[in-house]
Amino acid sequence: MTKIYREKRSWKTRRDRKAKRIEQLERIAKGKMIPTEKIVEALEAVIFPGDRVVIEGNNQKQASFLSKALSQVRSEKVNELHIIMSSVSRPEHLDLFEKGIARKIDFSYAGPQSLRMSQMLEDGKLVVGEIHTYLELYGRLFIDLTPSVALVAADKADMSGNLYTGPNTEETPTLVEATAFRDGIVIAQVNELTDKLPRVDIPGSWIDFIVVADHPYELEPLFTRDPRLITEIQILMAMMVIKGIYERHNIQSLNHGIGFNTAAIELLLPTYGESLGLKGKICKHWVLNPHPTLIPAIETGWVESIHCFGGEVGMEKYIAARPDIFFTGKDGSLRSNRTLSQVAGQYAVDLFIGSTLQIDKDGNSSTVTNGRLAGFGGAPNMGHDPRGRRHSSPAWLDMITSDHPAAKGRKLVVQMVETFQKGNRPVFVESLDAIEVSRSARLATTPIMIYGDDVTHIVTEEGIAYLYKASSLEERRQAIAAIAGVTPIGLERDPKKTEQLRRDGVVVFPEDLGIRRTDAQRSLLAAKSIEELVEWSEGLYEPPDRFRSW
Amino acid sequence: MAIVFLFPGQGSQQPNMLHDLPPHPAVEKTLEEASEVLKEDILRWDSQEALRSTVAVQVSLFVAGVAVARVLEEEGVSPNMVAGHSVGAFGAAVTAQSLTFREAVSLVKLRGELMEKAYPNDYGMGVIVGMEERQLNRLVSNCFTDEDPIYITNRNAPRQMTISGSVRGIEKVLALAREEGASKAEFLHVRVPSHCVLMKPISEKLRREMETIPFQSPKIPYIANRTARPLRDGESIREDLAFGVAHPVRWYESICVLAELGAQLFIEMPPKSVLTNLAQQVFPCRRSLSIADSGLRTACIVAQRIKENRGR
Repeated sequence: MTKIYREKRSWKTRRDRKAKRIEQLERIAKGKMIPTEKIVEALEAVIFPGDRVVIEGNNQKQASFLSKALSQVRSEKVNELHIIMSSVSRPEHLDLFEKGIARKIDFSYAGPQSLRMSQMLEDGKLVVGEIHTYLELYGRLFIDLTPSVALVAADKADMSGNLYTGPNTEETPTLVEATAFRDGIVIAQVNELTDKLPRVDIPGSWIDFIVVADHPYELEPLFTRDPRLITEIQILMAMMVIKGIYERHNIQSLNHGIGFNTAAIELLLPTYGESLGLKGKICKHWVLNPHPTLIPAIETGWVESIHCFGGEVGMEKYIAARPDIFFTGKDGSLRSNRTLSQVAGQYAVDLFIGSTLQIDKDGNSSTVTNGRLAGFGGAPNMGHDPRGRRHSSPAWLDMITSDHPAAKGRKLVVQMVETFQKGNRPVFVESLDAIEVSRSARLATTPIMIYGDDVTHIVTEEGIAYLYKASSLEERRQAIAAIAGVTPIGLERDPKKTEQLRRDGVVVFPEDLGIRRTDAQRSLLAAKSIEELVEWSEGLYEPPDRFRSW
Repeated sequence: MAIVFLFPGQGSQQPNMLHDLPPHPAVEKTLEEASEVLKEDILRWDSQEALRSTVAVQVSLFVAGVAVARVLEEEGVSPNMVAGHSVGAFGAAVTAQSLTFREAVSLVKLRGELMEKAYPNDYGMGVIVGMEERQLNRLVSNCFTDEDPIYITNRNAPRQMTISGSVRGIEKVLALAREEGASKAEFLHVRVPSHCVLMKPISEKLRREMETIPFQSPKIPYIANRTARPLRDGESIREDLAFGVAHPVRWYESICVLAELGAQLFIEMPPKSVLTNLAQQVFPCRRSLSIADSGLRTACIVAQRIKENRGR
């Protein structure tokens, strides 16, 4: 037998490295506690050049104290960092690269910093690894992007390091798990230290260090939409969606992307949906952030359950008073979880519906325009047909169009857009701006948000295209053109083909659904203002200042 | 990073703009300083007659901008970031303390003189609103000739751009733009083809003159006209001020970068509200106000409130 030579190696290099880091912090930290004013010193001690560092950059919750502190370390001491973030939202996230502290970034969403990121990429000030959806990025934390250091945020901690993350739990458990169980260092900023936590969201044995922040972590109300801004066109489209899609395909469970379009649907369920006798029949189980515009539908008994990616500023008391509907802990407050919500939104719901900025003639859509690198966030994750799905539901089965024995159902993926954006820019275009952006940013693939192949329906103010019924690519194109209004794509439609598609039910206009355009009135909205939402919630919903007019 | 001072450029001038500045010791001081450097009474430069010369326009705009910026600082409102449109960039650079007011006055005067001498006739600028850049690019390329060159210059908003070049060429483009659905396509009252390659020799002369002026690192970020990047070193600012006149002003991107850097309040120095209107258009959720329209008192109150709300 030939001897296979095996070099003697250590199997615990990661543990040894962790021990070394903790040693560096011995003179600064007292047990698990890092003094607030020593945070920059502490980060300089525990982070090594070239480290992979994950910074909690959720949508809503930002570890702002830690990210600001990181941007203040001396670049001679800490440099060449590889940053992993789901959402690049704050100026100091990119300051890390300007200052030479970090060099490379893997992320999911950079909307709030997209221009600066594009500039820095062009100037060679940062290198992008890959752009991911949220779930993909979380997945890679367990494969090849495992962090050495995780900087996270929580509401409260006790002296053992147990964390309460409450309504804004979001992605914290996932980031911590990937780091803690591969011998990384987890540092959590907290708003306060307390003896008794409302509940334990993350156990202290997973946390290495706690620091009390100098001010509470930043929280953005991103999912609140003022009903006052919903237009009649959006109401018309919402009516078509409820009748032509939700009722037609018997939608039991769904995800609403954020927008005025979907807010209109939420506010039309208790009125228009009620008039169709649909309560208790559809839209029972939801995965989405706690949209205030869903309050009337909850109050009137439409909703059975909601699982949330994150919290929403102002909704805390309302949620705590409705434990039958939301996922709440023994303490009464919401428990959100972005990772699990994204899994649910991918595999366990009948339908995704969202909006976009541009759609090409094949139904591919993108929100990338203007040379910005905005990334993807969660939309592609929800907005695709997960072919690994095996369980069926009535809506999923309704998508079957052939009687082939191996035929399977599909998730409904709906794009809801007006044919023109603000400023008279057509949404339906010959070719996506994203293609040019990917060329100049030298990306490996064009950043398409949702692929035409995955889209089952497109809704515009002109009507609905039931793309899942199209028998060929040509027919799909014709169906899209049929509802693309007076955009260049729409003007190319063949009226004869449109008529045929209408006969075959591939294209449907509002009147075919028994909807008159004049029916689309703001009076149909169950709540027409933020104040009315507060009333519906019996005073429990507390809108943030910028939404108050009183 | 919440408070931004914006400095307007050519197009915003109006007769008596210096006389109409708020009565304040900082204004008196600034006007005195300007007059000393120019060896003339600056208050003679803002009459309707005098403003026919681009030298008077540029210097007056520059002086007005810096004067009011100084007033605001003395009243407790300091900018966290600055940006100026075209000649306004000089006011921004002085406020960021990259060069002194006196050094800048001479430069602005020189810039105006060089521009006036180079293209006395037959050249100018136009503005086009309501058209995509791709479309306008097509029009401009089709109309371009060596005898009648035209270029797309300033990008002020997604569908608001200027063109510069020969008057004949501009006329052609404006007519076509109107035909193709532009909501506005007209000449600007500027007799110089600013912000395109036709101004290259002028920018080079300006740069040579600026060699002897020491440029310091700005105390606050200054957003460059040419690149829309935040600049933090003196050398880059010198380059931007010198070569800016021969390159398009990427104003829309500048405002976007300011917003990404955390701008909560845009305050435009007088005269007029051109930049305020643009900022409001693209960022209705951030506060924008002009001293010309809202006055000093309101600006100070709003700035105070913004400062208090930071961290909420």
